[in-house]
Amino acid sequence: MKKFIQNIKKYYKYAIRSAKAELKSEVAGSYLNWLWWIIEPLCFMLIYAFVFGYVFHNRQQYFITFIFIGVTIWGFFNRMIKGSVKLIINNRDLVSKVYIPKYILLLSKSFTYLFKLGISLIIVFILMIFQGVPFTWHIILIFPIILVLYVLSFGIGMILMHFGVTFNDLSNIVTIGLRMVFYLSGIFYNIRTRLGGTLGFFLLRGNPVAFLLDEVRKCLIEGSMISIQGVLFWFVVGIILCLIGIHTIHKNENSYAKVI
Amino acid sequence: MGNMKKNIAVTVKNLHIYYRGLTKTSIRSTWSKKTKKIELFKALKGVSFEIEEGKILGIIGKNGSGKSTMLRAIAGIFSPDKGSINLHGNSISLLSIGVGFNKKLTGRENIYLSGMLLGFSEEQIKEKEKDIIEFADIGDFINKPVKTYSSGMHSKLAFAITAILETDIMLIDEVLSVGDKKFKQKSYNKMKELISDEHRTVIIVSHSLGTIKELCDEVLWLNDGKVVEIGKPAEIIKKYDEFMSK
Repeated sequence: MKKFIQNIKKYYKYAIRSAKAELKSEVAGSYLNWLWWIIEPLCFMLIYAFVFGYVFHNRQQYFITFIFIGVTIWGFFNRMIKGSVKLIINNRDLVSKVYIPKYILLLSKSFTYLFKLGISLIIVFILMIFQGVPFTWHIILIFPIILVLYVLSFGIGMILMHFGVTFNDLSNIVTIGLRMVFYLSGIFYNIRTRLGGTLGFFLLRGNPVAFLLDEVRKCLIEGSMISIQGVLFWFVVGIILCLIGIHTIHKNENSYAKVI
Repeated sequence: MGNMKKNIAVTVKNLHIYYRGLTKTSIRSTWSKKTKKIELFKALKGVSFEIEEGKILGIIGKNGSGKSTMLRAIAGIFSPDKGSINLHGNSISLLSIGVGFNKKLTGRENIYLSGMLLGFSEEQIKEKEKDIIEFADIGDFINKPVKTYSSGMHSKLAFAITAILETDIMLIDEVLSVGDKKFKQKSYNKMKELISDEHRTVIIVSHSLGTIKELCDEVLWLNDGKVVEIGKPAEIIKKYDEFMSK
């Protein structure tokens, strides 16, 4: 753990610079430039709003905002998990030529995802104003929830990053797994009202994405209190996953260059 | 007496490096070969040596004798499976293999990122940025993504970064065959200049015995992951020549 903190101190500037450069290069080649960071989530939101609002007659209040929050939270989690599996192999050039603590690669990537999450959240607030969602002080509770989401996905990401090096099928499995989580997280429907009974009960307790998403909607749209117990529980789970991830990577990182 | 106390720059003790353990697997392969033995390849089997500060050590040996593995271990890319490597706090870089680039980013951005990975601060790199770009001599391509570079430009920039951002210890794998004739000459001269600095410790791996004889103070002969002999270049190279022509 001490080594982890030392490494973060030593390399965080690198991670920030690398993230900035990555974001810049992402938009450098395209016509609409950074507008894509806004257009992309907006388009997804419109698709879901059409399919689930119009085709399936979803009568959720503030439906546009409701869906956009789902797209925002899911987008971050999805990117973190998907991005981590092939992270080391994609950085083969770097890893085989110079020493870098491998989670710094994930840290740097996560900064770019956090940046996009931030943009998305700003749009959420604009939509809230637009739809006349009443603002309450509960809005600030979004920060601890995002923190828990970050810690959790960073932990899972580190573990996937390790197995991604040696286990070829992992990216296929993760793709299927993510699709399943996507439909079971209530991104375009409300688990509490739509899936009553045992299924809803277990989803909100067993699936951290569903739970955290629901909590975000509670504090933003409903202006009600979040479940502190639940948030703390997933925070602890996230920390444990991070510890496992850090330990695994410290133990194995020097062998990665031999395999890829 | 007095100033005769030697400063040791690199201490390698009983170094073992194995290739094993993490082998690629897939679900299919675990089904088809249930009792697959994990192959253990011992690249280095107990190598020990020391280099004084400012000295130039050449490493020779036939293909597969563990030379490059050892350089990469000293550079910290692998950790030893047994034994230890002590750099006594010196900064280190692997010249000529170059640095890892992020191909999506521009050459200029890569100068900063690789410099930071070599342990330099952003300010230090900023000071040297101009020199690096001038030495690399790739024109406007410095502002284009590295993926658009020809292989020559790629290695020119890589060499320029490691050569201009000077570290205390330099590891040189296979004496430069970088770029066109003009750049080759330029980089050879630059390398000689770097090597001749009396505080810089250098380890060179090469098959060109002429270069080794010319540049090195000491030569280490590796065979099958073990040290055969360490000593004066002329002596060792003579024995090595005899051994290879057998």
